[in-house]
Amino acid sequence: MANTVIGSSIVIDGEISGEEDLVIQGTVKGRIILKENLYVEQSGVVEADIQTANIEISGQVTGNICATDKVEIAAGGRAVGDIKAPRILIADGAIFKGNVDMDA
Amino acid sequence: MSEPMTIIGTNTFVNGNLEGDEDLTVEGRVEGSINLSKTLTVEVGGVVRANINVRNAVVSGILVGNVTAQESVHVTEQGRVVGDISAPRVILVDGASFRGNIDMGDFDVDRATDGFASKGLPRKARAEGEEPAAEEKSRAERPQVVRTRPAPVPTRRPVAAPPKPAAPAKAAQASAPAVAAETAVKRSPPPPPKVRAIGKTKAVKKKH
Repeated sequence: MANTVIGSSIVIDGEISGEEDLVIQGTVKGRIILKENLYVEQSGVVEADIQTANIEISGQVTGNICATDKVEIAAGGRAVGDIKAPRILIADGAIFKGNVDMDA
Repeated sequence: MSEPMTIIGTNTFVNGNLEGDEDLTVEGRVEGSINLSKTLTVEVGGVVRANINVRNAVVSGILVGNVTAQESVHVTEQGRVVGDISAPRVILVDGASFRGNIDMGDFDVDRATDGFASKGLPRKARAEGEEPAAEEKSRAERPQVVRTRPAPVPTRRPVAAPPKPAAPAKAAQASAPAVAAETAVKRSPPPPPKVRAIGKTKAVKKKH
């Protein structure tokens, strides 16, 4: 289990930064800066610019994503915004709108 | 993990407003504000620099900011708190460190001293002509008013006031002890919601 969990009823308006995995089941607005993995679970809603190593989206993300490793939008996941990452996976059933930049 | 639960891990820093309806454990760092309808736990190593509004707070780490809790604030042995605490129950364990004001609400100095010789007699009662019945009636009409004195015009501040009326009242006690005793009994059973008075009490306390 990841070290930081934002539970489903939690709303954070501001900035989250860290060096450990982050699981979002609730709502985060603002900015996220991570050096590890970010998981936006089904109930998760993120309206933020995101900088991270990896991100896996099963919920909703609105904002620009910049990942140093990988961005994965799972089936059922929704993302709106520009993505910049060397590896980008969009699963069948995922919804995405935005620009993709895979230049490493 | 069936219970909804939020954890801010040791290497995570949240800056901003955080609100929700579930327990929150802070092992890392949070700055800004926290509004919860459940319990906030600041673990050892956790640092919270925020104004906090929660049901319960348990502090084993460092907390800087004002805390308002609907139920309780518990500062454990390792806890360090700087700021004002407002909660009906505040527990400071031996070893805990705290600097700031504590407001446990309007448990009311007036009421606490009520039992003792029914001090600060209502001024009305001092007036000889007044009948107990009239006194009772006026009280019944506004049951939520916690103040012991019917307060003719001025002093509405419960905490600051007692000394003044108490002194002259001593003389009057002999004349109307029965009245006072009766009113004291009448008042004691239903603790009315006294939340409204907190702000005022606090303002008074903050002077120093």
